Amino acid sequence: MEGLSAELLLRIIVFGAVASGIWALAASGFSLIFGVVRILNFAHGTIFVLSAYFGITLTNYGVNPYVAFVASILFAGVFGVAMYKIALSPIRESKVMVIIVTLAIALLVEQILMMTFGGHGISFPSLVEGVVYVAGVPITYKRILTFIIAVIALISLEFFITRTKTGKMIMATAEDMEAAMLIGIDTEKALVITMFVSSILAGLGGLLYSQIFATTPIVSLKALIYAFAIVILGGLGSVRGSIVAAFIVGYTLAITISLLGARWSEFVVLLTIIAILIVKPTGLYGVEE
Amino acid sequence: MKGMKRVIALAITLAFAASLPLYIPEAFIYLLGLALLFAILVVSWDVMVGYTGYVNLGHTVFVGIGAYTAALLQSQRLALPTLPVPASIVMGGFIAALVGLFIGIVTLRLRGYYFALVTAILPLVFMQTVFIWPDIFGGEEGFTIEHGLAGSVVEKYYAALLIAFVSIAVMLLIVNSPVGLKLKAIREDEELAEAVGIDTVKYKIMAFVISSFFAGIGGAAIVHYRMVVAPDLYDIPLMLLVILSAVIGGLGTIYGPMIGGLLIYLAKNWWLKEVVDVFRFTALPINDDVILYLILIVVAILMPEGVYQGIKEKLKKERG
Repeated sequence: MEGLSAELLLRIIVFGAVASGIWALAASGFSLIFGVVRILNFAHGTIFVLSAYFGITLTNYGVNPYVAFVASILFAGVFGVAMYKIALSPIRESKVMVIIVTLAIALLVEQILMMTFGGHGISFPSLVEGVVYVAGVPITYKRILTFIIAVIALISLEFFITRTKTGKMIMATAEDMEAAMLIGIDTEKALVITMFVSSILAGLGGLLYSQIFATTPIVSLKALIYAFAIVILGGLGSVRGSIVAAFIVGYTLAITISLLGARWSEFVVLLTIIAILIVKPTGLYGVEE
Repeated sequence: MKGMKRVIALAITLAFAASLPLYIPEAFIYLLGLALLFAILVVSWDVMVGYTGYVNLGHTVFVGIGAYTAALLQSQRLALPTLPVPASIVMGGFIAALVGLFIGIVTLRLRGYYFALVTAILPLVFMQTVFIWPDIFGGEEGFTIEHGLAGSVVEKYYAALLIAFVSIAVMLLIVNSPVGLKLKAIREDEELAEAVGIDTVKYKIMAFVISSFFAGIGGAAIVHYRMVVAPDLYDIPLMLLVILSAVIGGLGTIYGPMIGGLLIYLAKNWWLKEVVDVFRFTALPINDDVILYLILIVVAILMPEGVYQGIKEKLKKERG
């Protein structure tokens, strides 16, 4: 019995780490774009899934998985920027319209993916093969790699925002767009860069997800909902809050799946978040609007 | 004088709607009845979103709750007393309103963005209940009920017309009352509204509860109309269809969303199916949803104020 529970604990730790890392990528991008541009991008989960499908399609045509991996991340970034330029930039001032248009894009892409690829799960080929046994529990290398890549990406994001000149330019735009414009910052450029960064984070999340879990067009909705949940919990616009909240959600998820079963996962996670909101309505790191 | 004109216009519209089964085929009458019930959902969404400015993305939660409540009261799946059909529809509305009250108390202390996000995840929470307890809710397939609104299609259509008329009339009276004025004040400037002594949280919750109640009524009536309850009544595509109809009709006008709801529902279920057939030979990934979403995106980008406002402004420009 003791051995069993230790094994269960280890499984929860590993699964939680992987899930937290992936959802942190999705949520931090979503939070970043809200913090800077003040838009709720309902197509964020779509970018997550689209990059996975793009990568899988490339490898099906015989492209090297590493090349496909990088190409798909760039594709996600370009898709995000194109979406911003064509559809969102003209209606940025109207909050309701942005929600409606991004939601429509999300459902549109989901339908097209469903008709093109079908609803069954597909996966991106493993970037690394092999298994390590820790106390008798098999842990695949790709799970470890996923966690490491996620952590590196999140640290780079933090570094990019707080230390680089472009990051500071973006933060200034987020703080006060008119003031930023007055001191000579090209705010439109800042918004485009933000959209690009946000989208490649989503794209990276999607690729890492599809390497481990079966990916279907509906995963876009799942990614979006987890990003929402994490961002609500962490506080809108706070990237750091998103990362902390992602780990809370990731581990709640891992514990729920291990103890209650997969079908309970979303239900319990979302109930937890609503319970936290009752106590602290603006989220963990949230600021008053 | 103006009141008189309105009564006459209303009487003519109702007489026209009531005479439709005389010269329109039954299959179309069936769709028309569903479109009327769908219009209730759109108008009830407008009561919250169009009048307070708070974007509720979880309206289908209340549609689903109303639907499942009414269906469960018509079946032996739970040891519940079986109610007559009208009573079970009203119960659907009440339970939806009750859940709306609770969600409103939790979320409406928050301002705009949080409300939108929290309500956006709610349909998925409720949809999960269907899969977690399939013995009760029937899982993905849902379940059928025995007693509908009426026996024949034409009778059902009249029942739907009556329910839609009463529901929309009540909502119209509410938004044209002093309560409606206070809601509009919140939409225009919430801080100012608070400063002049309006209890904004109370009125927001009130609008949300009214909106939920009629969504529940609509959901319950739809179930009794088509005799099947299924998770599609909770789902995101229905939410987007409601949003699309309200936006095309013009938010905060009641009439606009009502007409938008009727047109969009009929367009999607009648006309678009034929359009899709035209594209069938191209082997492109196109279905009715794809066309609908494309229209929505293009309309939203070209006329961000809504089609109604967009056309009105264009006419103004041409005249001026």
